[in-house]
Amino acid sequence: MAFGLRRPFQPKGADRFTVNLGTRERAVVKAVCEDLVGALEDPAAEPLLRRVYPVAHTTDASIDAAYQEMVHSDLVTSRRQALERIIASTDEKDLDRSQLEAWMIGLNTVRLVLGTRLDVSEDMPPELEPDDPDIPAWAVYEFLGGVLDAIVRSSAETLSS
Amino acid sequence: MNSRLVGTPAGRTTTRLADAPVEVRDPDIDETLDVDRPWIVLVWNDPINLMSYVTFVLQKVFGYSHEKAEAMMLEVHNNGRSVVSNGTREKAELDVFRLHEHGLWATMQQD
Repeated sequence: MAFGLRRPFQPKGADRFTVNLGTRERAVVKAVCEDLVGALEDPAAEPLLRRVYPVAHTTDASIDAAYQEMVHSDLVTSRRQALERIIASTDEKDLDRSQLEAWMIGLNTVRLVLGTRLDVSEDMPPELEPDDPDIPAWAVYEFLGGVLDAIVRSSAETLSS
Repeated sequence: MNSRLVGTPAGRTTTRLADAPVEVRDPDIDETLDVDRPWIVLVWNDPINLMSYVTFVLQKVFGYSHEKAEAMMLEVHNNGRSVVSNGTREKAELDVFRLHEHGLWATMQQD
């Protein structure tokens, strides 16, 4: 996304998108996805995953439990597949629409987890001290927001409905 | 797509009606058994999901126009939540699942 002169995901025909990300940007995308694949079913990571597997009913625990039993493994699987598709395609020059959708869902999942870890609220970004140990994580969070927004814009303008 | 969530609404309703008196501990049995009352699906505000992303997911999942999806997103943003669909319990479960797949905080409840 260097200098914003080229769109990060330039639509190319109906269903292809040219990826204009640099080597280091691609490396960050790959690294965060590899991190999260390992954490998706890690009990130790559970508090950070609450936005990835949200409750489906706010007042009736039995309805929520029935729902979770029905879908939880599917939610884990679809997240893992999205992340693995990103990892396999971070060096590609072009993505097709289905790959771009995997990038969208996978990187949004990473943002949900990272945002939970950073305790993001509506009044963000916060004032950080120069030596705040969370500065790298905030930088990645904001970077992923930019990548995701670019994916959404390129997907939306070429959406056939 | 979750195959267990589609294609069998009649069968699942029958099972639930037969099983409900045995397994429901909640005294409010009427809510569980009243299959005629529609269910609604709500999307709740959260500080992480991008506004552009929420709008796009509502377009993609429900086929809404950009204008309709954006109006719903703004209602979520300004009022904390918005009703995005309604129907049978089975439809609500499927809609919630598809929204959860996309990382939105969606819940369902009987209207």
